[in-house]
Amino acid sequence: MSKSLKRSYRTKHPTTEPSFVRRTLITTALLFLGLFLFAPLAAVFAEALRKGLSAYLAALVEPDALAAIKLTLLAAGIAVPLNLVFGVAAAWAIAKFEFVGKNILMTLIDLPFAVSPVIAGLIYVLLFGLQGWLGPWLAAHDIRLVFAVPGIVLATIFVTFPFVARELIPLMQAQGTEEEEAARVLGANGWQTFLHVTLPNIKWGLLYGVILCNARAMGEFGAVSVVSGHVRGVTNTLPLHVEILYNEYNFVAAFAVASLLALLALVTLAAKGFVHWESRQYDAGRARAEGVGETA
Amino acid sequence: MSIEAKNITKRFGSFTALNDVSLEIRSGELVALLGPSGSGKTTLLRIIAGLEALDGGAVLFDDEDATERSPRDRRVGFVFQHYALFRHMTVFENVAFGLKVKPRLSRPSKAEIGNKVHALLKLVQLDWLANQYPAQLSGGQRQRVALARALAVEPKVLLLDEPFGALDAKVRQELRRWLRRLHDEIRVTSVFVTHDQEEALEVADRVVVMNGGRIEQIGSPEEIYHHPANPFVIQFLGKVNLFHGRVHGGRARIGPVEVEMPEHAAVQDTPAVGYVRPHEIEIERTTPDRRAVRALISDIHPVGPVVRLELIRQDDGERIDVELARERYHEMKFEKGEEVFIRPRNLRIFLKDNPP
Repeated sequence: MSKSLKRSYRTKHPTTEPSFVRRTLITTALLFLGLFLFAPLAAVFAEALRKGLSAYLAALVEPDALAAIKLTLLAAGIAVPLNLVFGVAAAWAIAKFEFVGKNILMTLIDLPFAVSPVIAGLIYVLLFGLQGWLGPWLAAHDIRLVFAVPGIVLATIFVTFPFVARELIPLMQAQGTEEEEAARVLGANGWQTFLHVTLPNIKWGLLYGVILCNARAMGEFGAVSVVSGHVRGVTNTLPLHVEILYNEYNFVAAFAVASLLALLALVTLAAKGFVHWESRQYDAGRARAEGVGETA
Repeated sequence: MSIEAKNITKRFGSFTALNDVSLEIRSGELVALLGPSGSGKTTLLRIIAGLEALDGGAVLFDDEDATERSPRDRRVGFVFQHYALFRHMTVFENVAFGLKVKPRLSRPSKAEIGNKVHALLKLVQLDWLANQYPAQLSGGQRQRVALARALAVEPKVLLLDEPFGALDAKVRQELRRWLRRLHDEIRVTSVFVTHDQEEALEVADRVVVMNGGRIEQIGSPEEIYHHPANPFVIQFLGKVNLFHGRVHGGRARIGPVEVEMPEHAAVQDTPAVGYVRPHEIEIERTTPDRRAVRALISDIHPVGPVVRLELIRQDDGERIDVELARERYHEMKFEKGEEVFIRPRNLRIFLKDNPP
């Protein structure tokens, strides 16, 4: 009796598992993470710097690499703002209004997540390629989409389509429409309502969506690979450039360029963490204030 | 500004929220829309505000058709049930919003806006909270900010959706008296929605009782309570006991009571129901009346100034609720399990199949 009492006093948290279970689980998780995430990440940088810093930098400033960087920035620079606008518009429509075809729109937004990126790329080739449906017409008007920069931008837009909208829809649905209605009755027009009421309420979610969208836009391989045609210095994005270098056994250069993408991933994670933390602070501050308000 | 709702019909899918509802509200009046949930009262309020499109009928402001006017142009102030304050703006910014979004030509200067907002915050006694955020306020304070925000644009009509619904009992009571005084001060035509009959009767000039998308009765609180138009209104306005009987040739016989009903002179032997409020029933130990109803006291609940008794009728086994003043209860010293006689003092009688 007294023994069991003592025991129950010793375990301060009655709902936690025994320590050996906890240790096993934590070790498993850490081993897994180390093997599949940290080791490859370290390997990228180790390989990139194997022949010293100058070889590393040379691989980055070489013209083809610079062209790849530029193209990647261009594709992301077009895709992210477009999907930002589209995402906000779609989320606004879905969360705040009732209309016929709402479910179809939701399904369409999810489509790029459901379809393999390679297929997405193929669709563009089939549509806009020389043998494709619109190919002859485009060729007649001297417009080149596939195996050219516009195709890469199109493919990037397609695969990054859902990120912003998916992030905003649940947020906007949870917030409801009352504040917007209040603004309307107070005489605000649609734009004023959006700018002064809706946007401030979704800014953290929006930023989060943009960060994820950007990471995907810069890192996309499959869809872009199909429509690119791999013309060095012209239609190669960073991920495609890495592949080419690797296939040419130019490991140092391949890993050097890859390290840029790895850095991008790290920056994305940090930014994501920061936004998450910041929005949590914001909510926590409000919750604290709420508690004070209720007792006052 | 006067408001007129003409034959308004509103459907949500297959559900009819409002069915051919007509209502006139005079300028400067304070009107309550009272009804259970799903009765269409909030929908009617939102239609007046222009927040909901209607399927039939018209809304008139000062005899002018406003059905197609957007909510921006209706000059109404709307106070939402959950306040709908802009959460990222301070109290000051919330109240100033309606003035800041005005078109440049009619927009007051910054100083004017400042003065006006402070005057409004003084009116709702929250001047000292101007720089707080809504989340930092209590429910009652938020409600008053919402009201100040609605008043800032000098609305011709003030619409309030369950304005005290989310507040606790004490704050509720204070705020509704305060609203009544405020209305007497500023005299803006006001309509508020409530499901609390006490609130409607205490605050409003006129009460509109709604049920199932229709208006059951419109009248002063006095009329609604003492001259209910039909069984629904009686039952909605508070606890009531039912006594079954019959009407025949202008006379009603409801249990122990016989009443002249000249308006039903032509009615032949029709079932009828008499409705009696718990405080309108007498309990006696002895009675000269041979037809008095016997009942057994099955439970006694003292609640503050009154004592509620539950009785079981000995003839048909139905439950009767009676409310006695505490003094009367102590004088009579009723006990649980005791058999007594009950006599309704005031019966409102409606024919069963054919409510007037």
